[in-house]
Amino acid sequence: MSPATSLTAIGLVIVATIGIGLFGLRISRTTSDFYVASRVVTPRWNASAISGEYLSAASFLGVAGLVLVNGADMLWFSVGYTVGYLMLLVLVAAPLRRSGAYTLPDFAETRFESAFVRRICAGLVVGIGTLYLLPQLHGAGLTLQTVTGAPPDVGAAVVAVIVVINVAAGGMRSITFVQAFQYWLKLTALALPVFVILIAWRSVEHPVGVLEALQGAGAEWAEPLSTAGGRDHPLYATYSLLLALCFGTMGLPHVLVRFYTNPDGRAARRTTVVVLALLGTFYLFPPVYAVLGRTFAPDLVGSGADTVVLELPGRIFPGTAGDLLGALVAAGAFAAFLSTSSGLTVAIAGVIDQDLLRSRLHRWTSGDYVAVNSFRIAALLSMCVPYLAFLLTGSLSLADTVGLAFAVAASTFCPLLVLGIWWRRMSTTGAAAGLIVGGVAASAAALVNVVGGPDDGWPQALVGQPAAWTMPLAFITVIVVSKLTPDKIPAGTARSMVRLHTPEAVDVDRGLPQPPYRSS
Amino acid sequence: MSDTTRSAGDPELTTYRDVQVSPDFSELRRRFRRFVFPMTGLFLVWYFLYVLLAAYAPGFMSSRIGGNINVALLFGLGQFVSTFAITMIYVRWADRRFDAEADRMRQLIEGADR
Repeated sequence: MSPATSLTAIGLVIVATIGIGLFGLRISRTTSDFYVASRVVTPRWNASAISGEYLSAASFLGVAGLVLVNGADMLWFSVGYTVGYLMLLVLVAAPLRRSGAYTLPDFAETRFESAFVRRICAGLVVGIGTLYLLPQLHGAGLTLQTVTGAPPDVGAAVVAVIVVINVAAGGMRSITFVQAFQYWLKLTALALPVFVILIAWRSVEHPVGVLEALQGAGAEWAEPLSTAGGRDHPLYATYSLLLALCFGTMGLPHVLVRFYTNPDGRAARRTTVVVLALLGTFYLFPPVYAVLGRTFAPDLVGSGADTVVLELPGRIFPGTAGDLLGALVAAGAFAAFLSTSSGLTVAIAGVIDQDLLRSRLHRWTSGDYVAVNSFRIAALLSMCVPYLAFLLTGSLSLADTVGLAFAVAASTFCPLLVLGIWWRRMSTTGAAAGLIVGGVAASAAALVNVVGGPDDGWPQALVGQPAAWTMPLAFITVIVVSKLTPDKIPAGTARSMVRLHTPEAVDVDRGLPQPPYRSS
Repeated sequence: MSDTTRSAGDPELTTYRDVQVSPDFSELRRRFRRFVFPMTGLFLVWYFLYVLLAAYAPGFMSSRIGGNINVALLFGLGQFVSTFAITMIYVRWADRRFDAEADRMRQLIEGADR
């Protein structure tokens, strides 16, 4: 692969990202602009932006890598990453929008009338966001290393710096445009090489042994629930993964905040339909890379499986065509790291800004500060922790690590949202207990995995895919503790329920919080 | 509950409680629940069933229907189709039934204001 072509392509993506970001800067003035783009983004723009933000290193590189090594079972990653949006749509999207809360901690505070529950949620947003950012940085390091041979630190540092600059400069409004552009770039970058390969084959006599590789020696790989990649208890692992992905999406901080940018509930529904179509289309392609990789890049199965998407074009077409396609894929990969990292950074920075930084800045500067600056400092802080974590961790599987972030979200925010929206007798103590029990269990499993967990048997399955036991554990904790503490049911539950469940056309006072700060 | 005592001097809070205890509001919530939860359950069962069939009935899943098309492929594509179908059904339902209910609720609440 020629480094020059790929570096140019990556450079172009970075320039475009910053360019559109700066264009956004001119119309981004108030804090409300920063957080939710003033709620004026149209469904089609918004759907492209949501998809652009959502398709991370895990989707672009990781899914193909996992399928390459472990075979057919990993296809559930594609399915799960998509259906999570349906769960989000039918179970929580509309009520949450009506709640008028800007962020998950806002929702927790208004529903449970507790600063303590709010703080737990703020901590979880930062934790889930960090766990999700970590594989993005690893992906960036891996990509630049594959393309140029540079050490992984370089790629990660490039992404970290650009994301912080872009978020601090433009906030959410510019990010909407950046991400909408990046969805289409990612789709093109992944789809075009596949089409070129397929067209090239039509002019040649044989599809060089690809199908043969799937039969014979490779047959086990193509079997569902085989243990081809060395993962035990595949049935448990598959169910656990599906649960995490189905119910985790609703608890991802960067996904939820996007739903607030719709002007009303109807637009939110339209947006979700388009998102499902866009994501479904995208996920058709990673498995194709994995299947081709079995034939053209079998050496990657042992190590570096996550680079199969980057390596494949150059291996099939040595020469200029391969260089150009490889450059396109590398550019798409960088778009993936930049867009997801930006969205996560906005979400984490929003929480750090509101819950940790602003009151302290206010005190230290005796009121003489600008709120937008607080957000900028928060953006910097929210990238520091994942970057340190990146420096401390060795290589990890991109899609697996993102899957763990989903598992933590499914074991914490899913019970909080689903029960909080639908169950009147949920108590504040129950909410806090559920968040803590689910959060500690799932985060511990995630941490063990990132550091290097058990290699086989039930320990590997239970720690590698924790959602199937941590999520029910969290639900049961909430229900049992709520039953034991009926006196801790929030006094305003009746009011919250009316606000959450009356359709938006009804003109009740939703207690819409003012944007945290208005610069006149 | 504390808001029954507070509601005496707080007209706004009375409205909220009125809405909360009104049969229309219970009906609205029940209708939403009755649609959304079974739908979610059905959808999950259908996904989980596919995994089970692949594990324990590989013979059935790989039986050919014609040419290179077998049951597993058909069911797999069916999952895509059903995901979209459920989404479209939900959106239509929300647009028609739910928004219609919104008008009745509006009359209830805005009527109470006047």
